[in-house]
Amino acid sequence: MHDSGDVKIPIGPQHPALKEPESFLISLRGEKITASSVRLGYNHRGIEKACEARTYTQDIYLIERVCGICSHSHSTCFVQAVEEIAGLDIPARAKYLRTLIAELERIHSHLLWLGVAGHEIGFDTLLMYTWRDREVVMDILAALTGNRVNYGINTIGGVRRDINAKQKEEVLKAMDILETQTKYYIDLAQNETTLLKRLQGVGVLSHDDAQRLGAVGPTGRASGIDRDTRKDDPYAAYGELDFKVISVNNNDVYGRTLVRLGELMESFNLVRQVIRKLPEGAISVKAPRKIPAGQAVSRYEAPRGEDLHFVRSNGTDKPDRVKVRAPTLANIQSVSKMLEDRYLADMPIVVAAIDPCFSCTDRMVALRDTQNRKKNTVPWETIRLKGIKWYKDKGVDFASLNKKLSASF
Amino acid sequence: MLRALFHILIFPGLLFLFVFGFLAEYADRKLYARFQNRVGPPWFQPIADFIKLISKEEIIPEEADSLVFKLMPIFALIASSVAILYIPILGERAVYAFNGDVIVVLYLLTIPTFTYFLGGWYSRSVYSMIGAVRSLTQLFAYEVPLFLCILASAMLADTWSISGIAAFYSRHLGYWFCNIIGFGVALVSLLGKLEKVPFDIPEAETEIVAGSFTEYNGRPLAFFRMSFNIEMITGASLLSAVFLPFGLNLHPAAVFLCYILQIFFIIAAISFLRALFARLRLDQMINLCWKYLAPLAFLQVLFNLILKVVLPR
Amino acid sequence: MNEEAIKQELINKFPYLQEAITIKRKGRIFAQVPADKFDAVFAYAVKEMRFAALSAITGLDRGDGVFEVIYHLNQEGRILLNLCVGLEKDKLAVNTVTAYCPSADIYERELEDLLGIKVNGLAAGYRYPLTDDWPQGEYPLRKDWKGNLASKEVPDA
Repeated sequence: MHDSGDVKIPIGPQHPALKEPESFLISLRGEKITASSVRLGYNHRGIEKACEARTYTQDIYLIERVCGICSHSHSTCFVQAVEEIAGLDIPARAKYLRTLIAELERIHSHLLWLGVAGHEIGFDTLLMYTWRDREVVMDILAALTGNRVNYGINTIGGVRRDINAKQKEEVLKAMDILETQTKYYIDLAQNETTLLKRLQGVGVLSHDDAQRLGAVGPTGRASGIDRDTRKDDPYAAYGELDFKVISVNNNDVYGRTLVRLGELMESFNLVRQVIRKLPEGAISVKAPRKIPAGQAVSRYEAPRGEDLHFVRSNGTDKPDRVKVRAPTLANIQSVSKMLEDRYLADMPIVVAAIDPCFSCTDRMVALRDTQNRKKNTVPWETIRLKGIKWYKDKGVDFASLNKKLSASF
Repeated sequence: MLRALFHILIFPGLLFLFVFGFLAEYADRKLYARFQNRVGPPWFQPIADFIKLISKEEIIPEEADSLVFKLMPIFALIASSVAILYIPILGERAVYAFNGDVIVVLYLLTIPTFTYFLGGWYSRSVYSMIGAVRSLTQLFAYEVPLFLCILASAMLADTWSISGIAAFYSRHLGYWFCNIIGFGVALVSLLGKLEKVPFDIPEAETEIVAGSFTEYNGRPLAFFRMSFNIEMITGASLLSAVFLPFGLNLHPAAVFLCYILQIFFIIAAISFLRALFARLRLDQMINLCWKYLAPLAFLQVLFNLILKVVLPR
Repeated sequence: MNEEAIKQELINKFPYLQEAITIKRKGRIFAQVPADKFDAVFAYAVKEMRFAALSAITGLDRGDGVFEVIYHLNQEGRILLNLCVGLEKDKLAVNTVTAYCPSADIYERELEDLLGIKVNGLAAGYRYPLTDDWPQGEYPLRKDWKGNLASKEVPDA
């Protein structure tokens, strides 16, 4: 796949374009990318194994910390699976409150993405504006849940905090402000020339490729796959709410931008509906400590796509197996396809366009030599040589790289 | 002799350029921040950055050519500093003027770009090499429109000396209007020369870390950054002298004030354009320059040629 | 197609699945498939029954010497068909399904790395998600892996 005439350069694991560590090895010919390969796993923290050693309630907080931006997605997905196994019927008010936080999270995530996308194409002004607007929703979330991320609002059987009339008012006001701002961004996305030039025709993923490679979320919806778990497999209160699934046929990064902007507008509507229709009642039911044996698959439409949790219980108070399939894992496989035959300058925005969240994706264990208790400090020189050898094994030889680069230019 | 030293070291030489450079950098960053709804840095930020960089350890990569690495920033600094001696600041006449100094100044202003290329290439790091090549590729795109616009202006003024150009236009203020297209094109080309958004492709942070300057740190980086500021002042002064010939015959203090205002106007325009656009891709930038800027510049040259023939002397 | 119809179609085609299919609730079908018949059932589900999207592959260690691999297939996002295949500890191998679903590649690498289930026919590539210098034979997700490496080699750095 990597032609020997091309220069292979590493992008990552540390690189300003990447918000989280992942390693891309790009084969370059001049400014054109001829091949790319992805290596993930840098954010692996051993969460799935750790879940098996903790009770279900402890696991809610652990699973929530799989990711900072889509924390509520993971916690709700997990809690839904456990509630299904236990046969719990949670009160309607709890479902609506979960939906409220879910949509607020989607708003904050998409605004964050807009800013990151702007930064990747050198449009820092967009970054500053969207993140300024994002503060509005972060303040609301902090007022409702006590935290800007990792809300801790779910419990098995419902939610932990309620919302009062004054908070409802504030939420509605915030939606009005954000809607005005989003309309401005939509206008910008449709009319600003430099933005269009950098986003259109970039990171193309045809409808067939998207389907074959299993793209989910806005990445898939930009290629005409109008799958949305909220509509296809309704959970929480989505079955009773009225909203559209935004899907376009642009097949490129511009399409993904349009989809996310459209979803922002839909989220504002959904939040307003939830506030209006919020039913009275309890916010949780009592859940048993020991969950009966069983298994369940729970799906959730996270801001990045379909999030899938599989939980198997064995009658104790600790789960037998928790499997988390984050949406980015499904989307990362299309990145290599999208980068084919593009310019190096497009790489950051193409990777950013799938809205990668590698913390969601990897979950691993680290090794520590506790038996010997010797301090395993590694001298700088050893790490440096180890790094050079690692790259050499992958085909990137820094010593001869400059000769190859000068030859290829 | 003493006079020459004064001009080289104090005004309009190094001391003036350093101080004014810091002020210009502050103005640029503050305006950029305000456009983005941010607060922006305090007035002493550029000075603080410079002092911090100077006092830091200098780490030169093993593979890099140490001499070139350290010399390039100094060359960039010197080239842009020398150029200012030929550009009129206080009035119509620069410190040193001779027929043909417009070519010398344009050439001196090209040298910094070559130092960016050489510095990046001899840093021998992947990202700096790519950035270095991008610098040169970009050079071929924006230099031609810039040269043509200045040429057009010089043609109408019938002289190859910047001081002569300034004198001509300040005497025949009506002709200033003829060069308006040239001014616009030159401003955009200046963005390219200064490597600012939308033309900061050689330094694209999200793609190639810092381009040519990836491996730079400590004193060499401080001097490179200083050379950016001085290049901005010199470039703006050039544009101001050639295209904005106002207030050149008044009392010296008023003249200086006019000069400062003109420079800040150009810097404000640069900051505005910086905040307004996304970064272009290299192929898009070259397309833009050759499809739009160069033809416009040619148009300006043609227009001025016709004017020269038609109008009485 | 609703869940009952899907169940009936599978039973019609593969009579040995008669007792093995349960409909947990709306949109969730679980089917226990014998290891030697798995490839046929999978191919049929993907190609004939349009369960073309593979959402995830879960591998797990039941703790009693049997490992399970669950393939979560979905049909246009609505109905999830979970094909569950049990493997004995001494016969931990499955065939790759990347021919039908290219996206299975990374999930199968996870099976190999974390549980030690060999996937036959998987293309050469990076391992995921463990590091390159992870010691051989250590499979973190197995129930008997407690993370004590008293006598085993710990990679340096």
